[in-house]
Amino acid sequence: MIVCVAVVGHQNNPLYIQSFTEADDALKLHHIVHCSLDVVDERVNNPKKSGPTLNETFLGMLYPTENYKVYGYLTNTKVKFILVTTDLDVRDADVRNFFRRFHAAYVDAVSNPFHVPGKKITSRVFADRVSNIVKSFGFSPTG
Amino acid sequence: MIGVGKMKQYTNVLDRPLSKGKQEVSLSAFAFLFSELVQYNQTQVDNIAELERRLEDAGYAVGARVLELLCHREKGNRRETRLLGILSFVHSTVWKVLFGKVADSLEKGTEHEDEYMISEKELLVNRFISIPKDMGTFNCGAFVAGIVRGVLDNAGFPAVVTAHFVPVEGQQRPRTTILIKFAEEVLRREARLG
Repeated sequence: MIVCVAVVGHQNNPLYIQSFTEADDALKLHHIVHCSLDVVDERVNNPKKSGPTLNETFLGMLYPTENYKVYGYLTNTKVKFILVTTDLDVRDADVRNFFRRFHAAYVDAVSNPFHVPGKKITSRVFADRVSNIVKSFGFSPTG
Repeated sequence: MIGVGKMKQYTNVLDRPLSKGKQEVSLSAFAFLFSELVQYNQTQVDNIAELERRLEDAGYAVGARVLELLCHREKGNRRETRLLGILSFVHSTVWKVLFGKVADSLEKGTEHEDEYMISEKELLVNRFISIPKDMGTFNCGAFVAGIVRGVLDNAGFPAVVTAHFVPVEGQQRPRTTILIKFAEEVLRREARLG
């Protein structure tokens, strides 16, 4: 179950936060996303291994907390996508696939000439696409 | 711009493979649009420097979006952290997507450490434009300079980018050079990375 997705700009300003369960406190989710930004910065500044994985976009699981797992993805323009999920057995390939589609939706939203970079993403189409992606997450053949 | 036009069919785009979009935009359509852009800006400003700045700002917005789009389309996406990496990215990939060919040459400036130049025999945007004598050194390539600045800035390499005409013997039309001057912090970071 995906709890929330967030897009954070390159100055760590939030561009889009959407939660998909009513049960949880929005503030708590904001806090989790905020803490995960630190982990992202840490991963970016101290790469664990050098070589082919030096500049990967997909950062993998950032950190597990209580009953959530947080995944991160960093684009070329230092825009970060954060995914918070409660699933226990989420496969790596699923998450990568999710981020790929999310990135496609994000690129389309940003290509809008009326979108001001650095401001929140207000496109309804983007919100709809994100909900579609989230709904189809986890319904893959063996997941 | 040639090679980037992509017509969307709104039937579940998410399921389609990420193709490069082979459809091309006609050169004349682009030339008309660009000439209209220049004319519109010309009526709004009083002097040349302002006109150049407006074209550059327009290019900056394009550059930011082109960077996002290209990084997403390329398979095996890697984030560029080195100077030469991002320069060759601009010089080949960005140019290929925008103008259908790689830029003519990429050179390092001799006088200053932080200057690089991308030259082009004839910029696509300048092909149907001739500058009147009383406009001095104005170059509509400021639009392309803005695009390059947008790409570099959003990739984390702040720079000042300008377009200049460089006369070449043996040719009537001068060559165009895009001069890229990186900010201090970029050079320091580059030196630290070794």
